[in-house]
Amino acid sequence: MLKSTYKPSPGALPPLPPGWTEHKAPTGHTYYYNASTKESTYKRPGVTPTPTPPAAASPFGPPSASPVPGAHPLAAAPANPSMSYLQHQAVPAINLSDPRVANALMAQYSQQSQPQHQGGRGGFGAGGRGGSQQQQRPRPQPVDKPKAKIAILGCEPWFLVYTKYGRRFAFNPVKNASYWRIPEKILPAVIELDKERIRRKAAGEPPLEEDPRYKSHDKEEEKAEGKNLGSGQQGLEETHDYDSSEYEEVEVTDDEGADHNDAEHPSQHQRTEDENQGPIEFTEDDFAAQLAMMEGDGMDIDQEYDFAAQAENVEPLSDADARLLFRDLLADFRINPYSPFQKLIDEGDKTGVFSDPRYTALSSMRERREVYDEWSREAIQALKEARAKEEKKDPRIPYLAFLQEHATPKLYWAEFKRKYRKEDVMKDSAHHRSFNDKEREKLYREHINRLKLPHTQLKSDLKKLLESVQLRQLNNRSSAASLPSQILADIRYISLDAKTRDEFIEGYIQGLASPPEAQSAAEEAEDEVLRKAREERKKREKALEERERRVEEEKRRQEKRLAVERARLREEERELQRAMVVDKKGLQSQLGGGAAAGGEASKEDEAKEER
Amino acid sequence: MPAIRPASKRKPPPEGFADIEEDLLIFANKMKDAQNAPTDNIPKHQAKWPIFQISHQRSRYIYELYYEKEAISKQLYEWLLKNGYADAMLIAKWKKNGYEKLCCLRCIQTKETNFNSTCICRVPKAELKEGQDVQCVSCGCRGCATGD
Repeated sequence: MLKSTYKPSPGALPPLPPGWTEHKAPTGHTYYYNASTKESTYKRPGVTPTPTPPAAASPFGPPSASPVPGAHPLAAAPANPSMSYLQHQAVPAINLSDPRVANALMAQYSQQSQPQHQGGRGGFGAGGRGGSQQQQRPRPQPVDKPKAKIAILGCEPWFLVYTKYGRRFAFNPVKNASYWRIPEKILPAVIELDKERIRRKAAGEPPLEEDPRYKSHDKEEEKAEGKNLGSGQQGLEETHDYDSSEYEEVEVTDDEGADHNDAEHPSQHQRTEDENQGPIEFTEDDFAAQLAMMEGDGMDIDQEYDFAAQAENVEPLSDADARLLFRDLLADFRINPYSPFQKLIDEGDKTGVFSDPRYTALSSMRERREVYDEWSREAIQALKEARAKEEKKDPRIPYLAFLQEHATPKLYWAEFKRKYRKEDVMKDSAHHRSFNDKEREKLYREHINRLKLPHTQLKSDLKKLLESVQLRQLNNRSSAASLPSQILADIRYISLDAKTRDEFIEGYIQGLASPPEAQSAAEEAEDEVLRKAREERKKREKALEERERRVEEEKRRQEKRLAVERARLREEERELQRAMVVDKKGLQSQLGGGAAAGGEASKEDEAKEER
Repeated sequence: MPAIRPASKRKPPPEGFADIEEDLLIFANKMKDAQNAPTDNIPKHQAKWPIFQISHQRSRYIYELYYEKEAISKQLYEWLLKNGYADAMLIAKWKKNGYEKLCCLRCIQTKETNFNSTCICRVPKAELKEGQDVQCVSCGCRGCATGD
């Protein structure tokens, strides 16, 4: 809910008629409720609603029209001549020599004088309001501010101004008029603009605000605006009058009302400059600064939302996950499972283990050690199993490879055997009792005999061998370096010399079809297991990332808090120092200063209450 | 004195030695460094601390490989003990209740102390005074009681 910038001062309001009670809505607005008639209203009952909103625009606004779309109807203007009269009477009666009383009075006084003035009654001149009094006015509640403006193409002096709260209004800098309802004259252009905006959003192009075509044109216009503003109340009134004759609905916000005051009272101008940016007088720089500010805020909020969203998606890092993460780390860094834990710690800096966020997934060294021991035991077992599998491979394969390299028709088997008796392939293995010397001799003789055969026959034999292999094992995706053992263990494979054979096989493989899609159930299950493991891992890593981010955020927040605390401390120290300084005038000045300080404090209290 | 055989005639270590050779080499280098480090400006009783510590670490490494991770074969384990890579007497103590973390054999040698007591590092932390920081004289151990 948007807040009105207008604030009725409660002191000036007449009492409610019987049966009515005053309440505060959650949004901060006061409303009135009649328990007997069950009627509730924003308007203060008992007072005939003033036909005009209290802003300067009042002479030409229709009474019932709510100036701010979405805002509640404004409460009746508090301007009460009798009250103000009483005030005038009361002022001299109070002893103003007491600074506390004076300040309290001034705070009230200035506050009340504001709506009166805005009502066009012009009760007080600029001289009557000292700068010091205005400082005591409570800062306004967050008000809607213009955020971005876009030139409406085709309707040249017109701008479409977007506010902080996403509302927008049309603004004509030449006539110095703003309308919440888009005038019919420029409506088609605005619709075009909206279409363009949507199109850009969909296309991912930069928003309209960044397009130079839509930027507010040039400095001249800005200057004109400024001049217009400087010309003062009279000039403004004239333009407004002109507008009112042309359009039924002229909307000027309360902000603008304040701006009118600005024109009249330069002293106030200074104060309101930074907070009350009326649509009329924002320059390019202000606009940029505000936009930057908004972007900064928006970014923060977005990030926060991101965190919130992710917190919902990602589960927190559980203990088991932390352990698994550490194991992933060990596996990823190819840590030798035979190494002692101490080595991991000693070389952590060098290998980069310490800088990995997964290292901190576990909080204590004891836990890390436990996980390391567990992991290394399992890794060593896995290594052993892999080695055992290697052992089980066909002993013919290395033997045949050796034969291809060393066997020549010049050597008889006995000679060959004696010559290479120390080679591993010539020794009997404990795992393969069946592959003994007899087998070796048979293979040797066959190989030597085949070497004498013509080249073409050897080739055709090899082709026959390749054709005997199923497509699932040998297809256009397999390489000559990793052929199935069925081929490698065959005597026909080594008959040709290595170079021509490899070329031949590569050519053959390229001519093959792609592997069949339907894989065996076992393979699919294996794939499934792998996929699941990968997913699990991804989840774990996400959780870790999330945790890191949270820690980072927490750290940032703490730093901010620390800075704030420090600033406060410094402030207090400065205050203390100020209090400690007693100049030569001694007690008198000290007392005076104290009184003044007391007055300030009371003013602050009041300001708080008013808020 | 047995004959020193040339490297080519020496019996190769049992299978699996290659896996741990690198880490044993690191320990050997550390030991060599510790042995050659100057002891001029450290108290006399502290001169042997690093040697005790490295010896303990290496023995512990082999003990864990064989008994806890079951990563090396019995042959290799015995070969390592025989070749002085680990202290068999110390490992023998680790298998006993209450001595699972024993730092060195000297710390439980009661006959070497004046009051027939073990070293201060054998006292559990719970029985020491609050905040008492001990470091034993023989090997620089800071506490090797099982419950710690």
